[in-house]
Amino acid sequence: MKRVLVAMSGGVDSSVAAALLVDQGYDVVGVTMQVWDYSEKDCEQGFGTCCSSVDVEDARRVAQMLSIPFYVINCESEFKEKVIDPFMDSYQKGETPIPCLNCNTHLKFHYLVQKMKELECDFLATGHYAKVENKNGKWKIYQSEDSWKDQTYFLFTTPVTLLPKLLFPVGGMDKAIVRRIAEEKKLPVFDKKDSTGLCFIGKSGYVKFIDRYQEKEKKGELKLYPSGEVLGFHTGIHQFTYGQRKRLGISYKHPLYVIKIDPSSQAVWLGEEHFLYKHQVEVKDLHWLDTVLPGERLKVKIRFGHQAQWARVYPKNAYCFIEFEEPQRALTPGQSAVIYRKNQLIGGGSICGLHD
Amino acid sequence: MEVLKELDRVYLDYNSTAPLADFLGDKVQNWLKYWGNPSATYQKAREARSCVWTAREQLARFIHARPLEVVFTSGGSESNNQAIKGLAEKFRNSSRNKIITSSVEHPSVKSVCEWVRDHYGFQLEVIPVLKSGHLDLEKYEKALDDRTAFVSIMYVNNETGCIFPIQKLAELSHKAGALFHSDAIQALGKIPVDAERLNVDLLSLSGHKFYSLKGAGALYVKKGLSLESLIHGGPQERKRRAGTENVLAICAFGAVAEKGEEVLKQNQEITQWRDQLESIVEKSIQGVRFIGKNHPRVGTCSSIMIDGVFAETVMMNLDLKGYSVSVSSACHSGSIAPSAVLLGMGYSPSEAKCVLRVSFGVGIEWESLKKFADVLKEIVDRLRSLEGQQ
Repeated sequence: MKRVLVAMSGGVDSSVAAALLVDQGYDVVGVTMQVWDYSEKDCEQGFGTCCSSVDVEDARRVAQMLSIPFYVINCESEFKEKVIDPFMDSYQKGETPIPCLNCNTHLKFHYLVQKMKELECDFLATGHYAKVENKNGKWKIYQSEDSWKDQTYFLFTTPVTLLPKLLFPVGGMDKAIVRRIAEEKKLPVFDKKDSTGLCFIGKSGYVKFIDRYQEKEKKGELKLYPSGEVLGFHTGIHQFTYGQRKRLGISYKHPLYVIKIDPSSQAVWLGEEHFLYKHQVEVKDLHWLDTVLPGERLKVKIRFGHQAQWARVYPKNAYCFIEFEEPQRALTPGQSAVIYRKNQLIGGGSICGLHD
Repeated sequence: MEVLKELDRVYLDYNSTAPLADFLGDKVQNWLKYWGNPSATYQKAREARSCVWTAREQLARFIHARPLEVVFTSGGSESNNQAIKGLAEKFRNSSRNKIITSSVEHPSVKSVCEWVRDHYGFQLEVIPVLKSGHLDLEKYEKALDDRTAFVSIMYVNNETGCIFPIQKLAELSHKAGALFHSDAIQALGKIPVDAERLNVDLLSLSGHKFYSLKGAGALYVKKGLSLESLIHGGPQERKRRAGTENVLAICAFGAVAEKGEEVLKQNQEITQWRDQLESIVEKSIQGVRFIGKNHPRVGTCSSIMIDGVFAETVMMNLDLKGYSVSVSSACHSGSIAPSAVLLGMGYSPSEAKCVLRVSFGVGIEWESLKKFADVLKEIVDRLRSLEGQQ
C-alpha cells in the first residue's frame, strides 16, 4: 500500500483531502505544522486563521475520525527564519511581501518533503486548489477548476522534480463540492469558515504586528508625486502598500494614492491614481516549471486574486521582463508576477522594477 | 501481577502512564456499587468511606507511613502543587524565604516553585544536575542555610530514571532546619519508597504511573506537619483536601499498592532486560549514548541519545511500526520542544532533540524489547541514509 503524508491545517480543504486519500486506499499519515507559538501571545487572536492552536485541535479530531496516525511537528524556528523574518525585512525595504509563498516554498514543499522521506511516505498531499498532471511524460501544474480558490499563484516555486510526488486531492474540485463532501463525511470542520489573512497575524493587523517586533520607529516624509512637495510625515514605511488610499494620515484636495515607497529615504510618495498604472515590470528570483519562448504572449497575475492579464514575457538570465498589453494598476515590489500558458502554471518571480 | 495488554502494539512509555493492572477489571466492577458520598453518615456513605480508608491503609503500608499521613489528591500534579504551595504559605513572611530545587524537576514542581517565587517573593535556588545525572551535592550543601524554608527534589527523574539520594538530601536539609518534599511519582513501584526511612516531610505519589486509574494521587504528609489546603471547601481528608473523593480511583490505587511488593520484585527483574537492550543498541547503532548510565537508575527506563538523528522523527517512525515511545515531557499542543530535563543537565538543545525515552515495567516481554532494538536500528539506519536529515 502506498503511504501518503498529508499536511493537515485543520481547515476544510486539507481535511477533505485526507478523507479522500483514505477512501482511495492509501496508507495516510496526517501532520500539522505548528508554526507560531500562540500560547504566549495573541491567544485570543490566533483563532480562526490558517494554523492557530484551535486548528491543530481540529486537524487532530479529523485524523482521529479517519483513524489515521497524526503528528504535530514544531516548525516554529523554521517558520520564524523562513517566513516571519523575511516578511519583516521585506516591509522595511518598502515592499509588500507574500509570506504564504515562503511558507509553501520552505515549509510545505521543503520541510514536509523531508518529513515525507523520513516517514517512508511515497507522496506528499495538501489541500491546495491546483492540479498536478503528467502530460506526454512531463509533469505540469494546472489551475484549479475553481478559479476563485485557485492557489497556483503560491506554487510557482515548487521544484519540477517534486511534482510526481505531490497529490492535491481537492485540486480539481469546486469549493462548494469540497464542503459538501466534508458535510457528507460528517467531518467536524465542514462549516468552518475559509481562512483569510495571515495565520500569524491577529485581528489587530499586520502594522501592529510589525510595530511590536520592530526595534524602533522609522519616521519619514509623505511627498507629493511627482513634485516632491512634503505633505506630512509617517511613522514607518511598513504601514503602506502601493495603491493604498486609506489611512494615509493626511487630507488633500483630491484623492491620493501611494505611488512609490522609497526605503533609502523612507519617503512615501503620494499622487493621483493614474500614476499607478504601469506597462512593464521587472521580475527577479525566478522559478520555471516549463520553458518560455522569448517574447511569448502569456497571461500574468500580479497578485493573488488578480485576474491574469495578457503580456509578453522576456526571460533574461536572472531576471525576466514583462510587458503588459494593458497598463496594470499598482504593480507592487515584493508581490509575485506569476505566468500562465492557458491554465498551466509556467513560472514566476518577485516584482522588483517598475516601468511606465 | 499482570497488566492489560495491547495485542498489536508494543507500549514503551510507562513513565508517561502505566498500563492498568489486569486484576482491576473485576475489582472495578465491584467497586462501582460504592457510589455513595463518603462524607455522609448513612450506610451507603459508610461503605464508600470504608473503601477509601482501606485504600489509605494499603498505600500507607506500602510506603511505610501511618494511614493518616496519606492525603488523597487528584494526582501527581496536585500533590506537588499542594506540597509546594502549602509550604510556601507556611513560610511566607518568615525569615526563611529560600526554596531549593533541582534543575531537572517535573513541570508540576518547577513551575510551581517559579510561581511562588514570583508571587510570594521567595528566593529560588536551582541546584544543577550534571550530564552524568549527579546532583551537584556541593552546591546543594552550600545553598542550605538558616534562610532556607524548604527543599523540593524528586526521587526518580521521569526522563532518565536517575535516582537521587533523597535520604541524604533530606537529612542535610533538616540539619539546616528546612523541610523536605520529594516528588516520588516515578519511584513508586520501581524502587522501595519508604517514607519512614527516607525521613522526608512530604512525598508526592500518583496512581496512574503505578498501574492504577487516572484521577487519584496521594501526598504523604508527615505527622505533625500542617499545611494550608490547596483546595478549600468541605472537611474531606481531615480538612487537608476538600472535594468529594474519587472513590473508584482511590480504591484502585490502594489495591495496586497492596500488590506493591510484587510489583517491585517484577520491576527489579526487568533491570537485566534494560541492560541487555542497551547493550544490543550500543552494538548495533553507531553514536549512541545512554543518559545517566553510570548513575544509579531505576531498571525500567532507558534514555537513548542517538547522534544526529531527531528523536521526534524516530518516535513517529516507531509509532507507525507499532511501538509507543516518548521523546520529551515538554509539549505545546502535542508538538515537541527540547526537553527541559536534558537542558537542565547541561545538554544543548540540539543534543536534547536526539534523545528518545524508552520506559517499561510489569507486563513487558523480552521478545518485544529485542524486536524494538531491531526496529530502532532499521529506522536509524534509514534516516541516516537520507540526505538533509539534521
